[in-house]
Amino acid sequence: MTTFDSKYDMFPAGDVGIVEGEMNIPSRGVPSGENMEFNTLDEPIKETFMRDLRAVGNKFYHVLIPREKTSLLKEWDLWGPLLLCTLMATILQGSTERADNSNDGGPEFAEVFVLVWIGAAIVTANSKLLGGNISFFQSVCVLGYCLFPIALALVICRIILFTTQNSFLFFLRLVISMVGFIWATFAATKFLGDSQPEGKKGLAVYPICLFYFILSWLVVSHSNV
Amino acid sequence: MSNVHTGELLNFQDYSPEHNDRSARIEVEAVHTNQYMSNPNYGFEEPKNVDEPEAAPQAGNHNFWTIEYYQKYFDVHTNEVVERIISSVLPQKVSRNYFDERIKGKPDLYGPIWISVTLIFTIAVSGNIANYLQNANKAVHWRYDFHLVSYAATAILGYVWLVPLALWAALKWTVVPEGQDEIETQVSNTPSMMSLFCLYGYSLSIYIPVAILWTIQVSWLQWLFVLMAAFVSGAVLIFWLLPALRKSRYFPIVVGSILAFHFLLATGFMLFFFHVPSTGDIPVSVGSSTVKV
Repeated sequence: MTTFDSKYDMFPAGDVGIVEGEMNIPSRGVPSGENMEFNTLDEPIKETFMRDLRAVGNKFYHVLIPREKTSLLKEWDLWGPLLLCTLMATILQGSTERADNSNDGGPEFAEVFVLVWIGAAIVTANSKLLGGNISFFQSVCVLGYCLFPIALALVICRIILFTTQNSFLFFLRLVISMVGFIWATFAATKFLGDSQPEGKKGLAVYPICLFYFILSWLVVSHSNV
Repeated sequence: MSNVHTGELLNFQDYSPEHNDRSARIEVEAVHTNQYMSNPNYGFEEPKNVDEPEAAPQAGNHNFWTIEYYQKYFDVHTNEVVERIISSVLPQKVSRNYFDERIKGKPDLYGPIWISVTLIFTIAVSGNIANYLQNANKAVHWRYDFHLVSYAATAILGYVWLVPLALWAALKWTVVPEGQDEIETQVSNTPSMMSLFCLYGYSLSIYIPVAILWTIQVSWLQWLFVLMAAFVSGAVLIFWLLPALRKSRYFPIVVGSILAFHFLLATGFMLFFFHVPSTGDIPVSVGSSTVKV
């Protein structure tokens, strides 16, 4: 926002002068490497779909190995968070055939959904209030994509739950979801930590930890077979 | 300024551009002469100095709906928050008028909000652990209860907003004016609503470790923790607020109700989330849940 405003202010109101330029048809222009504009009108749907899917997959890869942060921060999208959130909500929801059972206390589908999105929004609002220089959707995108290790842990726990349970397997599930929690927190901190001013990093990181801790708690507590 | 007579306004007038110009010029001059007239007259009272302290924050104020308006309540550093949390448990670690100097001057909302959220989920998680430990020896297929989160959230958010609001109102309207001259100093001594929210939020921080300790299923230990937590954080509350509370007409009642609410909260947490449930609940859960093989 600030850069946009300052750019706007650079042009004095009444003193524009002569405007010059050329008008080209973009598709006829010489394509120059990365900046080539796609003409998506006549390509097959499969290609369009695969390109978007590849972008999402690429972001997942960067969450698992958090080395460079431009791909997640610059070209944010909410497809990955939506996929992860839907997957987690589907697995975590309390089973319907035991809905009348008072002891079946898993969250509803919508509750997981709300927890993820409102939680990400609150964590983002917190970092904005602390004075971080990051846009709202960038932060929500990073927080959503960093759910990937936790979602992975949930899938593994779900597979473990198919077998007969004992205390060793519970311990294994605990360890797996703890690893997912630490991984997710580490990745999110790596992506978002630099946006905060010095001396406030701890304050910005703590809510992120809490957010992922709550989701990991849901993962380890989920035991509806 | 209001030299225009109603008769002049109601009459039809010919508003040529020159006429407009002239009238505008006249008004500008009138304003100038007014200022020149007033300054020598009231110069010794310095009316500008009264306005300046109010005008300065006004310039820094942002609209209520912008994020910048709230940023002043989040303008804290990590070590400040840690210091405030410590001061809410062990007031002797910081200077005696820490509240007056720091918290009242610069109340933050970061601590109260995140302490409340942490407490909500700590209570939900350890309440589940306590429930698991209670059922560990019984042949019941135990399942966690996610909905403890909503009960805890209702209780804590209600407490952390409503009680300071009530206390603020009580302090505002029951202050006894000691003398005519002291009215202004008393008004400034009454803590602002924000600083009360801040103080109450931080006073909940002791319940977070206590909530984890409440999972130990020993009844007298649980009650000991209730008494200890409520006494410590209630005492700290009273300790910080004592100068303001003294001025209230109903000093003992206000202090008593602060402590009573604090004990009520701790007892409610312990009985609802951690204590062995009354015997009426157990047959239902045993009857309807699957039995472990």
